[in-house]
Amino acid sequence: MIDHTHLNMAASSTTLVLDNGASSLKIGIEKETEPVSVPNCITRTKTERRKSFIGNQLDDIKDLSGLYYLLPFQKGYLVNWDTQRQIWDHVYQSLLKITPSDLNLIVTEPPFNFQSVRDAMIEVLFEEYGFSSLTLTLPSSLSSFHQLMEYPERPCTLVVDSGYSFTHVVPYYRGKALLESTLRIDVGGKLLTNHLKEIISYRQLNVMDETYVMNQVKEDVCFVSQDLYTDMRKARGKQDTNTISLDYVLPDFTSVKTGYILPKGGKQHGTSEEQILRIGNERFSIPEILFNPSDVGIHQMGIPEAIVHCISTTPKPMHRYLYSNILVTGGSTRFPGFRERVLTDVRKLAPDTYPVDVTQHDRPDLVPWLGGQKLAQEGREGAGGHLQSVTQSEYKEGGLAQCHKKFYDNQIILHSNYN
Amino acid sequence: MSGSKTRSSSDRRILDEGTRMRRHKRQLEALEKDNHHDDPHASFAHLLNKVKLPSFSDGTEKKRRKTRSNADHFKQRFRKTFQSLLEELATNNNNNVKGPSYLTAAAPPSKFPPRHFCAVCGFPSSYKCVSCGTRYCCTRCLGTHQDTRCLKWTV
Repeated sequence: MIDHTHLNMAASSTTLVLDNGASSLKIGIEKETEPVSVPNCITRTKTERRKSFIGNQLDDIKDLSGLYYLLPFQKGYLVNWDTQRQIWDHVYQSLLKITPSDLNLIVTEPPFNFQSVRDAMIEVLFEEYGFSSLTLTLPSSLSSFHQLMEYPERPCTLVVDSGYSFTHVVPYYRGKALLESTLRIDVGGKLLTNHLKEIISYRQLNVMDETYVMNQVKEDVCFVSQDLYTDMRKARGKQDTNTISLDYVLPDFTSVKTGYILPKGGKQHGTSEEQILRIGNERFSIPEILFNPSDVGIHQMGIPEAIVHCISTTPKPMHRYLYSNILVTGGSTRFPGFRERVLTDVRKLAPDTYPVDVTQHDRPDLVPWLGGQKLAQEGREGAGGHLQSVTQSEYKEGGLAQCHKKFYDNQIILHSNYN
Repeated sequence: MSGSKTRSSSDRRILDEGTRMRRHKRQLEALEKDNHHDDPHASFAHLLNKVKLPSFSDGTEKKRRKTRSNADHFKQRFRKTFQSLLEELATNNNNNVKGPSYLTAAAPPSKFPPRHFCAVCGFPSSYKCVSCGTRYCCTRCLGTHQDTRCLKWTV
């Protein structure tokens, strides 16, 4: 018989929260106000032949053109462990300077994570890094916990998490996921950037190798249209009436360090050597793919339709509460106008009698981390009771089976268990 | 000197459905790529494997070999690709492991008809290229399409 109170005493008192995203990992001790966002990749440049840049060492690169990426994730799931361990090593040792054995860890994994990936994750975190305890959960679960702490009177949350690899729509009842209703749309930030690269390369200038630069362009100029065909008409207009088109100066990494939007009507800079992209309907047709994946031939519902479909598969009494508490999170929801568009589209599709409301944090990409922070600070006695942790000694005693039981059974509701 | 515009419509090759699907699949695969170009270190790494670097200390030799074998063991156990994970899942499903999974979670097709945009300029399009099925919006864009892409990507 294990004395649980004793073990919990033995676990350390400080918690590290890690939202391990496919494009960037958000990491920080619970005491910090904000996490550090580190690119979850190893990059190589054309000029620096001998060195690879791990995570945030990307900031040291002077010439960011033609960057080559090594990513630990494939289609949203962690498969390249060598890469991931190198990045974790760097982040723990050089960036945060922490000792894992002194810390509890709250870490995220994607929905429907594969068994073998999860086993590897638990094994690496306990045996190689030696964290004193571990909580493994979904980023959307932490987001819903965050929402539950902010609005305790709302029992249900529908989390839309649009990240780098895909978008998930996950319904929650009191912090527990309804896994059978969860939907995945195979559109994320990576696909958007790649599509932008593709069409710009065809229409103007070959930028196929410039993932880093074009991702920056996407973040700087794209927005979500509130009325697609009106914006299309505007984008066709002549120079002075056209409020959509703009000129974007690409960085050359010698005189122009970062790209920027050329002010309208402003005199062009003296040198004609700058490379300028004229961005018109691409500004809104790129984020549009999230709302209509069929635009690029992906035969799946867009976000608003998926929200409605997802809610329709949940138990009826929850519908009202889910419609009135939609939370949009993840880096790909940062396009201006995203929240408003989701609201109007869902309003159009949802039954009239239900109120619809969409919440968005001002840093939607950090919400899971902030939820993890709340969990660490406010403890698991109340609303967070289902998000249990496994201590190092429990792991040694019960192995992976113990972890699966604790992490999986408490966090989800299957419809069969609902009644 | 026959530009595609001067070619008569009767001798224009028309891609069959299968080829169009393959083309489309390849385009979608391209959207999932991490990098479009090759690893700039590739040639260098290749050299490193071939050239045996001189070792300066004999003492550490034993230790190094040991750690490497540990890493190898780890690699063996966890070396998986996304494809192999999917296959593993499919066999589990065959063995009656029930419940929602990656495969069941994919969003179903939309009930709304797809919208069409010109592949050349991105504006709404009402026409389809006869040869390959790509969307275009006006004769100018059709000309560009035929001169650059149509039938130029053979599958």
